[in-house]
Amino acid sequence: METNILYTHKDLVEKSKLGDRNAQYSLYELYVDAMYNVSMRMMRIKEDAEDVVQDSFIEAFNNLSSFRYESTFGSWLKRIVVNKSINQLKKKKIPITPIENEMYRIKNEEEDEKADAMDIKKVIKSIGLLPAGYQQIINLYLIEGYDHVEISEILNITPSTSKSQYHRAKKKLIEIIKTL
Amino acid sequence: MDNFEKNIKENIALFDEYKADKSKLWSNIEAGLNSPISKPKVIKLWNRPAFKLAATIVIALGLFSLVNVFSNREIEQQNHIANQELSDIDSYYKGLVAYQVKLVQKSSKLSPTQKKEFLSFMDELDTEYETLKLEFSKNLDSERVLEAIVVNYKKRIELIENLLKQINSSKNTEETDVYTL
Repeated sequence: METNILYTHKDLVEKSKLGDRNAQYSLYELYVDAMYNVSMRMMRIKEDAEDVVQDSFIEAFNNLSSFRYESTFGSWLKRIVVNKSINQLKKKKIPITPIENEMYRIKNEEEDEKADAMDIKKVIKSIGLLPAGYQQIINLYLIEGYDHVEISEILNITPSTSKSQYHRAKKKLIEIIKTL
Repeated sequence: MDNFEKNIKENIALFDEYKADKSKLWSNIEAGLNSPISKPKVIKLWNRPAFKLAATIVIALGLFSLVNVFSNREIEQQNHIANQELSDIDSYYKGLVAYQVKLVQKSSKLSPTQKKEFLSFMDELDTEYETLKLEFSKNLDSERVLEAIVVNYKKRIELIENLLKQINSSKNTEETDVYTL
């Protein structure tokens, strides 16, 4: 079953490897919105997100021969988009991890705050109000679904740092949501 | 996973709130893509029936020549043995015949005409011998040919022996006659 998922759109991928423009366009059409949303969540600026998506698709198609179905094509492509987004943020000197002593630091980290289901629109808006470093960790863990080991590779931090930063970010997010 | 996280995971699709400008992005992407790989046309020769036929012929010829080389070697070896046999026969009988012919030629009891007549018989057998030798070289049934050559030699020796016996017996008769007288 898992193998079948890995080979999703195999035919299109194989044709795209040979440079079939129609197949490449079909793959692009299937994934462009998802990738654009990933990039928008991280970059926050439309033009930057578009640049990242364009560069990611170009890199993916030009290096498709290195794709060996170890993951789905979608997650392979998404990782390219995420990495490119992180690189762009670094170039812009936007912090990709929370600054330890920043003003939003939660005083009592051990406090088990009740986290109930909340209105998604409010959540989306609140993520946008988080400091840049917190936004990335919330996006990567909560929205994009990466685990802490994967996040540690993406952000070049340790998995335990990823965990602690996520918990802080989540608490801050809940706090902001409540104020809305 | 708490309720907050659970709620987000269940409604993850709602986070995709943007729509990409597909045509604009694609035109930029397409400009940056490598030109399609012109896949070199592979002509699989081995799949063509003509190639298969040619390959079969080459293999068959190879096998045939291999078998031929081995069988020729065997024949050559057999020929070598047969030639050795012939030269052995020749060296044995030739000497014997030549010695006896000399005896006949030296004999004072025979007239030159008789000698000539006798030697003409020998010439006939010589011709027969040459024919046999020729047949032997053609590699017919070498065993039978060799037998025939031996018979030819034996016939010559027999003829000479008979002649010599006759000469001797006439000699004896003459001597007896003398005693009778």
